Amino acid sequence: MLHRLAAERATGAFTRAGGTLFLVDGQIVHAESPAATGLEVLLTRGSVLSQARWDAALSRWGREGSVAHNLVARGHVPLGLLELCQRTALYDAAFFVLAPSGRLGRFRREVRDWLGAGVGVAPAAVESETARRLALLDRIWPDARIDVLPPASAVGAGRPPTVTDRQLRILQLADGTRTATDIARELGRPAFHTLVELRRLAAGGLVVPAGSGRMEEHVAEAVREGEQSAAVPPADGFAKPDVALLRRLMDALEAL
Amino acid sequence: MQTERGRNVSGIDECLLEALRLPGARGAAVVDWVSGLALGTAGDAPGGDHEAAACETAELARMVAEYRSFSPLHAAGTPSAVTVPAEQHAGQTPAVEDIIATNSDSYHVLRFVTGALDGTLFLHVWLDRDEGNLALARIRLAEIAGRLVL
Repeated sequence: MLHRLAAERATGAFTRAGGTLFLVDGQIVHAESPAATGLEVLLTRGSVLSQARWDAALSRWGREGSVAHNLVARGHVPLGLLELCQRTALYDAAFFVLAPSGRLGRFRREVRDWLGAGVGVAPAAVESETARRLALLDRIWPDARIDVLPPASAVGAGRPPTVTDRQLRILQLADGTRTATDIARELGRPAFHTLVELRRLAAGGLVVPAGSGRMEEHVAEAVREGEQSAAVPPADGFAKPDVALLRRLMDALEAL
Repeated sequence: MQTERGRNVSGIDECLLEALRLPGARGAAVVDWVSGLALGTAGDAPGGDHEAAACETAELARMVAEYRSFSPLHAAGTPSAVTVPAEQHAGQTPAVEDIIATNSDSYHVLRFVTGALDGTLFLHVWLDRDEGNLALARIRLAEIAGRLVL
């Protein structure tokens, strides 16, 4: 469907289980996913922009879709920094929207995003980048459960010798309760970057997916129940995040 | 592009075009070394493929950024007699400022960008060796990297 929308130079919101891609004239200008960190966190956590300023900008210009332009024009955020964070957030969210999930998407014509960042990316480019990222993760460590199940540190007292500073911060948050997305948001980092580091930690035996084992049977059952109750999509077009999460876990287990 | 306050602002494209104005510059890119994605490109790429070049330069940048052998002995501002353990560099990313590779006809300069995205971005400039001036490139790239995020 996405290829057809690109060829038609369509404008609107393309939604799948993993989130939404916003298209203008067939180009992807913005992406959102419950699994991704989000542009707001990348900008405010880097202490460039205060949360209060962000909230004010969103409430004032969100409806007319010109948040990005106004933040830059008023000197609240340097243009380069906004572009870097916006592109990073776009690919971060698009990864979760486009990762294979077996479900079709829905398209709502003329629905616009609130950011108004302007320059878009060709869907084909985002798709190939997503495929490249999936292959990258798989090469580091082929077990995708760590993307979805909360990682638990498998390290004893003291610091293991082969861990980077970035990985250490992740290990400190890996308590078997926080998911990769939770950790990424707490650190103010893109979700995909956290997935990469978690796979590297898992490859080194330093984290394990929490509660794995009997979890597989419960998850399969929960996905079936979730899909039945989600058969009628909610009015705003977004799939329930918990079903999406369980779906990804199912795919990860099947890929093992 | 000018803001309402009349300041010149530099986006990704403007910064890459400025890098291309370096003597001998063939191509430039800003790359995320965790994912290997080029967030912006200009000019030509080594091997003709900006995406492939970004993946390869990203691998080099990651290793240099993470291996302890390339970390400074002393944290900035401490007396030189005091050696700071590597753990204390956490948060002061990145430890390395730039990487240079030289071959028979080219220079490659990779300049880490501080102040954005936890130090996981770098600028890559590819210069012709005969026309390129390495000292100038290092200085200019440092300025461009700063202007990108300020």
